[in-house]
Amino acid sequence: MAPSDEELVEQFQNGDSSAFDVLVRRWERKVQGAIYRLVGPGEDVRDLSQETLLKAYRGLGTFKQEARFSSWLYQIALNVCRDRMRRGRGKSYVSFDELSETGDTGTEPGPSALELIEARDLSRQVAAAVSALPQEQREVVVLKEYQGLTFLEIAEALDVPLSTVKTRLYRGLGQLRQELVRQGVRGGTPVPAPTS
Amino acid sequence: MDCDAFREEMMDLLYEEAAPAVARRLDEHQAACRACRDELSSFRRLRRHLASWRTPPDLGRVPRRFSSARPYLAMAAALLLLVTGGLALKGSELRYEQGRFAFRLGRAPEPSALSAALAAQEQRHRREIDALQATVAAMSEKATLRKVQRMIEESEARQATIVSAGLTRLEERTEARRQYDLAQVGAGLSYLDGKAGLQAARTTELMGHVLQASQKR
Repeated sequence: MAPSDEELVEQFQNGDSSAFDVLVRRWERKVQGAIYRLVGPGEDVRDLSQETLLKAYRGLGTFKQEARFSSWLYQIALNVCRDRMRRGRGKSYVSFDELSETGDTGTEPGPSALELIEARDLSRQVAAAVSALPQEQREVVVLKEYQGLTFLEIAEALDVPLSTVKTRLYRGLGQLRQELVRQGVRGGTPVPAPTS
Repeated sequence: MDCDAFREEMMDLLYEEAAPAVARRLDEHQAACRACRDELSSFRRLRRHLASWRTPPDLGRVPRRFSSARPYLAMAAALLLLVTGGLALKGSELRYEQGRFAFRLGRAPEPSALSAALAAQEQRHRREIDALQATVAAMSEKATLRKVQRMIEESEARQATIVSAGLTRLEERTEARRQYDLAQVGAGLSYLDGKAGLQAARTTELMGHVLQASQKR
């Protein structure tokens, strides 16, 4: 049975540096995915991922397991991305042209050309809509929708109350829905606000 | 449960994190409220759209600078410590004097050995000074004068050569300057000559017109 994150952290803190390698193998791809969706494609993703893991390596010796390792790691990644975006005047680096070239649309094997084009278009539209979200909402959407963190883990990573996480997600999803409708995405028709 | 309460808890239902009791209440509400049911459905459709954006497979691996560096750094530090400690125990010394580093391997000489080395050095210098004095004394006064005279003549010859070369360069520069000035004067005169000729031609032409006009009258 594979050791848990917490066990690996403990092993590292007891002097077994190879435990960190296991943690990296477990989390590297997920951290890269989050960074990719927060700052966009490009060389920055690798740099920021490395910076995140390096900071984690330096801080792991004194990490007190009051929060989950995953929350702590994502917290580092978010801070690294925020720093980079602050230096870039707060803009997201998502390049839609690049997305259309390199984005994995996730289509099943054997789609028709039309389906492939539609899937690519949708992928690009989704990327554009997510990158257009305010930073706070974008972070919550990425962590929840794409990283699959629980609300509690997101609250720990962002250091905000649970209710704030849910409010940001609700608003972010609402804005995404509106943006995709504006871009003509089928099936995203908003419904009228509920009345009690 | 009213619609506001449903919206507050809807995210838990959408991401299947609602506790069973909460999920039951939410289901009951949406069964009775079409607007809330439709909104939850639209968010579920939206999630399917969001899933179309996946990360490219070629993001690449992050270089493991942090993990692999540690043992090597530790080994390098240990090696450095070992070498430094060994050299220190051997009495080696690294000094910086007069813009140069000096490294001595092994222990410094004992005071007695140093004194002996200094005494030997002094004796060698004395022997060299004595030999020089003996050479000077062996030379006669006339020979010295001849030697000095020859040195003065050589010096004067060198000075004469230098002065001669300087004069030649000065003469060349003066001649070049004179040629240049002459050319400038010549060009100026040609210009003036051309202007005067043109003026005379115009005056003659004017006078011709005047004469023709007076004859017509």
